[in-house]
Amino acid sequence: MKYYLLVALSVLNLIGFSQECDHIFLGELSDFHDKTPIIGATIFIQNLDKYVTSDIDGKFKIENLCDGEITLVISHISCETKTVKFMVKGDIYKSISLEHHIESLGEVSVTGNATKQETTTAQETVLKSAVLKRYSSLSLGDALKEVPGVSSINTGNTIVKPMINGLYGSRLLIMNNNVRLQDQEWGIEHAPNVDINSAGQISVIKGSGALAYGGDAVGGVVVINPRRVLLKDTLYGKTTIGGQTNGRGYNISTSLNKTFASGWFANVQGAIKQNGDFEAPDYNLTNTGLKSNSFALQGGKKAFESGFELYYSYIDNEIGILRASHIGSIFDLERAINAGQPLVVNDFSYDINVPKQEVTHHIAKASYYKRFKNFGKVNLQYDYQNNKRLEFDVRIGDRRFIPAVDLRLQTHTVSADVNLDSNLDRKVNFGIMGRYQDNFANPDTGVRRLIPDFDKYDFGAYTTAEWQLNDKVIVDAGIRYDFNRIDAKKFYLKSRWNERGYSTDFSDIIIQDFPTQYLTNPVFNYHNISASAGIKYTINDSNEVLFNYSLSSRPPNVSELFSDGLHHSAARFEIGDLRFNKEISNRVSGTYNYSSSRFNFLAEIFYNRVADFIYLRPFDFISTIRGPFPLWEYQQTDAELYGIDITAKYDVTNNIKLLNKTSFIKGNDLETNLPLIDIPSFNTNNQITYNNEDWYNFSASLKSEWVFEQNEFPDFNFDIQNQLTGQMLTIDISTPPPAYHLLHFYTEATFSFSKEINLNVALGVNNIFDTSYRNYLNRLRYFADDLGRNITLQLQLNY
Amino acid sequence: MNTNNSNLKTMKTNFLYLNSMKTSKLFVAAMFCLTLITSCSDDDDPVIINPEELITNVTLTFTNTGNATDIVTMSSVAPDGQDGSFTNIVVGSFTSGETYSLDLAITNESESPADDVLNDDIIPEADEHFFTYGVNTVSMTMSRDAGDVDGPDGNKLGVNTTWIAGGASNGSLNITLVHEPVGSDDSNNFGTVTGGEEDFNITFSGVSIN
Repeated sequence: MKYYLLVALSVLNLIGFSQECDHIFLGELSDFHDKTPIIGATIFIQNLDKYVTSDIDGKFKIENLCDGEITLVISHISCETKTVKFMVKGDIYKSISLEHHIESLGEVSVTGNATKQETTTAQETVLKSAVLKRYSSLSLGDALKEVPGVSSINTGNTIVKPMINGLYGSRLLIMNNNVRLQDQEWGIEHAPNVDINSAGQISVIKGSGALAYGGDAVGGVVVINPRRVLLKDTLYGKTTIGGQTNGRGYNISTSLNKTFASGWFANVQGAIKQNGDFEAPDYNLTNTGLKSNSFALQGGKKAFESGFELYYSYIDNEIGILRASHIGSIFDLERAINAGQPLVVNDFSYDINVPKQEVTHHIAKASYYKRFKNFGKVNLQYDYQNNKRLEFDVRIGDRRFIPAVDLRLQTHTVSADVNLDSNLDRKVNFGIMGRYQDNFANPDTGVRRLIPDFDKYDFGAYTTAEWQLNDKVIVDAGIRYDFNRIDAKKFYLKSRWNERGYSTDFSDIIIQDFPTQYLTNPVFNYHNISASAGIKYTINDSNEVLFNYSLSSRPPNVSELFSDGLHHSAARFEIGDLRFNKEISNRVSGTYNYSSSRFNFLAEIFYNRVADFIYLRPFDFISTIRGPFPLWEYQQTDAELYGIDITAKYDVTNNIKLLNKTSFIKGNDLETNLPLIDIPSFNTNNQITYNNEDWYNFSASLKSEWVFEQNEFPDFNFDIQNQLTGQMLTIDISTPPPAYHLLHFYTEATFSFSKEINLNVALGVNNIFDTSYRNYLNRLRYFADDLGRNITLQLQLNY
Repeated sequence: MNTNNSNLKTMKTNFLYLNSMKTSKLFVAAMFCLTLITSCSDDDDPVIINPEELITNVTLTFTNTGNATDIVTMSSVAPDGQDGSFTNIVVGSFTSGETYSLDLAITNESESPADDVLNDDIIPEADEHFFTYGVNTVSMTMSRDAGDVDGPDGNKLGVNTTWIAGGASNGSLNITLVHEPVGSDDSNNFGTVTGGEEDFNITFSGVSIN
C-alpha cells in the first residue's frame, strides 16, 4: 500500500501551484482484502458524464477538474458497484478499495506489482521482486533481513538461517510454492534449501497467524511464491548476471515463462552461482567457497473454475566451512578465541575442501483446484520432498572421503483445503493435511548417528474465518489441531543411557542389547492445539491498527530429543533429552500504521511467552582421552520474548527519500532469570535514496547499518584445567563481540529498449570502509572476522 | 452491463466444465507417477555403528632396566573409546636415578577378541603417526631408542623409549598420539608436532619419583 503511494506520488509530481479547472485526480483501485490492483474497472464521473478505465496497476486519472465535489461510480466484473464522493481542492490522490472476489482476482488478474497478503491481522511484510533481485547472488536468509525484526543465525556467511523476532529453526515454517519445506531445519548449520531466484514474492509473517500452513510456527512463517501466471498469450523471461569482488563470485539466473489466454502455462527457471574463498578485511577466509545449482519447472492450467499445477524444483549446494573453525579439543577453541584471527589462512582458491556440506533438495508437487458455484473453492495437493545432506569433516586416512553425516529425509504430504467465499463478508477456510516422513541415517559414515532413523506421521486440521464487520473493521480467527507421532530407532551408548537416567524411565523401549550400546525404539505422540484471533481497525485513510493473539504448540524436534554425541562439524557434544514436552507459545502483537503522502510509519510490538522453551546452551566440557570437548545441552525452560520493530519512511522531496528500520528485542529465561542466549542486539538501519525516474529510473542509496553490542547475554563461560601443566583457563564462549557500524552503497538504472524489453544495471558496494567486525549471531565469530568490502555488479534483462 | 457479464461468465463456465474432465485425469495420472518414483522405506532395524579405529585401553608399562620387578604402570580405560568417559590409574612409583624402558599397549577392548591397535594399525602406518610425551613438575627425561620405529619425516615414531627418573618429585606425565601431523620433530626427544589430529591425548597425574 505504502509503495503504491510512493509510486503514485512520484508519478504525479505533486506541486501545489494550480489554477482553476486543471486539477488532476489520480485514483488507485485495489481489492479490499488482498490489496491487489483492480484492472479494467469502469469509473463513471457523474459531474462530467465521462468514463475512464483503470489500468494494469489499478490506476486511473481524471484531468481538468475544477474545485468542488465529484462523484465517482465504480463498477467492475464480480465487484459490487461503488459510489464515492470526493472534495477536489487542488490535485488529489485517492486510494479506493473495492469489495472484490478475492480468490477470483488472485487467479485471473496478475501484475508484477500485485501484493497479495497471506494474513489479515498478523504482522506481515511482503518482499517484492524489485527488492528480491538485489539478493540474486545471496541467500533467502539475507533477503529476509530487509524486514525489521528479522535477523539471521549464521555459520559463516553462506549458511544463513533466518531468525524472526529472535526465533529460528523449527520455530519458523517456510512455505515454498505452497509446500512446507522439510529440510532438516533442526540444525543450526542447516540453511533453508531455497533458491532466492525462484521467488517472485516473499511474505514474512511474524508469529503463528497463518494457521493454514501449520500450528507450530512459534517464531513465524515465511511464504515464498513464484511469479504469478499471466492470463494472456505471451512469452516472457528474465536473465540476471552478476559478479562480485569478494570471493570472486558470479551468479547467473534465468527464467522463461510461456502463458496462454486459455490458462495454460509453463515456466522454467534455473540458476548457478559460485564463489571462492571470501575475504575479511585482514585475511582470507580459507575454505568458504560455495557452488550452487538449481532449477525449477512448473506447468499447468489456471482458470477461474478449475486448474492444476505440476511443479518440480531441485537445488544442489556445496558449501565450504571456514577451515580454521575445525577444532580438536577445547584447547584448540581457547587458542582460536585468544588468537583473534583464524589459525589457518591460505591463498585464495575456488576449491571447496573439508569441512564442507553437500545438500540436495528435490520438491515435486501436483495440485488441483475446482470452484463450486455458491460454495467456494476446493484445493487438493500432493507433494514429495527428498533432502539429502552430507557433511564432510576433517577426517584421516581412508575415511577422508566419507562424510561424517549422511542423512536422507523424505516427506510425502497430501492436503485438502476449502475456501468458502460465496459470502464476501464472512470468509471461511478449512482444510486437512496428512504427512509421512522417513529419515535414513547411512551407517557407512562409520560415525555414530547424531540423528537416528525415524518415521514421522503428522495429521492436521484447521479452520479459519474472516468477518468484514464494516468498512473499518475486519476480524479474523482460526483454530487448528495437529497430531504428530515420531517412531525412531536409536542407538544409545550404555554409559550415556545410564548417565541420563533413562534406565529407570525408558527401560521398556530397549529392543536390542549390544556389548556397549542399546538399540531403542522411542515412540512419542503429541497432540497440539493452536489458535489465532485478530482485529484490523482502519481509523481513517492514514491510520490503521492491528491486534493479534496467537497460540501455537510445537513438539520437540528430533535433534532436541535424540542428539547424544560428538557433532563433528561443530566439534562439540550435543545432548538432547527424551523427556522434553512440547513448547507452547502465547503471543500477542499490536501494529500501528500511519501513512500520509510523504510520511509512513509502522510500529510492530509483540510479547511472546513460551512455556517449555527448548534451547541449546554451552554447559561445560566432557573429558575424553582426546582431551576435553565442549558440551552443549538442550534445556527446557519458560521464556519470554518481547520487542518492537519500527519502519519509518519520509519523502524529503519527490526524489529524496529517507528510510529507517529499527528493531529491539529482549529475551528472558524466566526460571533462571538470565537473558536468553542468541538474541539479536539492538540494531538500526538508516538509508537515504535519491531517485529520478526521468534518468532511466535511476536511483542511488547510501545505507548505514548499526548493530549494537549485545549487553544482555547469559554467561555460560567455564574454567578448564590443563591437566599436564595444571594451568586454569577460562573458555569465553559467551561474550558477544563489540558493536559495529557499516556503510553500504547501491545504485541502479533501467534502460528500456521496447515496451517489453528492459535492462536493469545495478552496482553495489557493501562495507565501503572495509570495516572489521564480528556478529554475535555468527557461529564462526570465535574464529574469524566477517566479510570485508564487496563490490557487486548485476545486469538484469527483462524480456 | 451486469447482464452481459453474467452471460459471459456462463459461457466461460461451460467451456471450463468440459475441460475439467481432462485436467482431473491429468492430475490423477501425475499423482500416480509421483507415487511410483518415490521409494518405500523398509522397516528393518538400523545397523549398529562401531566407530573404526576405536581405542579403549592405553597402557604404559615402565620397567627398570636393572631390576625387572621395579615396574610402574599407567593405564587409561575409555570403554566407549575416544568420545566417552575414561579412568586413569597409575600403579607404583619411580626410583630416583634409575633407568626405565617403556612398553606401550594400545588396544580396542570393545571388540572380542581385543584389537591390537598399536601393532595392527599404528606401526604399519608409522609414517602417518607420531607420539609426543610431556612431563610437568616430575623430574624425568626420555630418549627415543635407536631401535625405535621410523615415523614421519625421518623422525622416530616414539614407540620404543627409555626414561631416566631424576630427583624425588611428583607431577604428571602426558602421552599424545597424533595422526597425520603436518610437521613433527623429535629433536628434543619428547617430540613436538604441528597440525594433524589427536587420536588421544592422555595425562596421568599422581606420578611420583621416590
